[in-house]
Amino acid sequence: MKKEWLITFRSVTFAQKGERVLREGNISCRLQRTPKFLSERGCSYCLRLQDMDAPIAVELLRRKQAPYGKVYAIDESGKAEEQAL
Amino acid sequence: MIYLDNGATSFQKPAGVYQAVCKAMYRCANPGRGGYAAAEEAGREVFNCREAAADMFDCNPEQVVFTSNCTHGLNIAIHTLVKPGDRVVISGFEHNAVTRPLNLLGADIRIAGRELFCWEEILESFEKELKKGAQAAVFTHVSNVFGYILPVEQMATLCRQYGIPFIIDAAQSAGILPVSLNALQADFIAMPGHKGLLGPQGTGILLCNRLPQPLLAGGTGSESELQTMPAFLPDRAEAGTLNVPGISGLWAGLQYLRQSGIETICRREQKAAQLCGRLLAGFGFRVFSGAHQGGTVSFVPDMDCEEMAQKLAQQGICVRAGLHCAPLAHESAGTRNTGTVRVSFGHNADFCQILALERGIRRIKEE
Repeated sequence: MKKEWLITFRSVTFAQKGERVLREGNISCRLQRTPKFLSERGCSYCLRLQDMDAPIAVELLRRKQAPYGKVYAIDESGKAEEQAL
Repeated sequence: MIYLDNGATSFQKPAGVYQAVCKAMYRCANPGRGGYAAAEEAGREVFNCREAAADMFDCNPEQVVFTSNCTHGLNIAIHTLVKPGDRVVISGFEHNAVTRPLNLLGADIRIAGRELFCWEEILESFEKELKKGAQAAVFTHVSNVFGYILPVEQMATLCRQYGIPFIIDAAQSAGILPVSLNALQADFIAMPGHKGLLGPQGTGILLCNRLPQPLLAGGTGSESELQTMPAFLPDRAEAGTLNVPGISGLWAGLQYLRQSGIETICRREQKAAQLCGRLLAGFGFRVFSGAHQGGTVSFVPDMDCEEMAQKLAQQGICVRAGLHCAPLAHESAGTRNTGTVRVSFGHNADFCQILALERGIRRIKEE
């Protein structure tokens, strides 16, 4: 069962820009460090958000040209699966 | 103290700037590095300032690179666009922050526009040089010595017309005149944070319309596994820990400007400079005044300029004499041998400052 979603960004600035876009779209999210096992080139940041919000969030980020990296669904056991939205 | 050296740095900042610096010292750790509260707060301060700057200079937040001063930004920009031997067109009013990096690189420097306050002359001369071909152009928005506002919009249009990348030095204009990266389509615009933007010393901004060559390499908090600098802004040009207290103060300065309105500040400074110019002329000094002038006025007194500045300093009046790190501008104006005394007004310009200067000069003359 999918519980939460992570949207990764290459830098803290991109993540903050994404956070701003989602907040303005009334989507609640939390900016945090990307878990090491999902971080492709070393350190990066991600936005963590609830399941129902993810498709709208990704669409909003795309529309507002906030350059995100990958989208992962995290299940209750903490396992991450990349999603194509 | 009567502070009239805002061309060097704005000294009497809005109260919020001091408070923001102090607050950041207590509350902020390293931005973009950790995931704990103090690191997050630092990250928010930096991003808020980036957004405020992007809003003021009409660009995206990631196009705002924080530097340690305007010279730093100009060096990044010049090293990105100019290679040894490249032909580079500059105005006749450039600061050493432009001419020294170009000389260090061994650029073939071509000077266009030597006449003060004359837009026709500089535009004609500038186009003539661009027509001959150049790899880059670098020009100041406002002369730091004479307050001469150059026709940067038209110069930018000419550069675009001839396909020549260009850099604008907004050291004396940022926070006083409108500056739009989007409208000017400059490759880079460099500015200090500590002058018209009213932030603390040690802050600056480089607006980037293209990916710069890093002047420094190091940690960015991103793509740490790679041994090359990230290929995206702003990280590519922001190696090492940022000056968070400075940036917090700069954000407070930007907020103050937004509330006060830069047009209001500009009008106040220009009016003060005009009045001051008339007053100085009344003493029989050679005063450099004209159309297209900002809040700075220079004059050649009837004694050594450094002596005049020193005598004013003894009365608590702060002005700057000499060549102002801009020998080229002095050469253009014919004051390279004498230097000038520069009076540069700031956001708090008022008539009392002018009266105090008048009294100060009168006392010197009566000695």
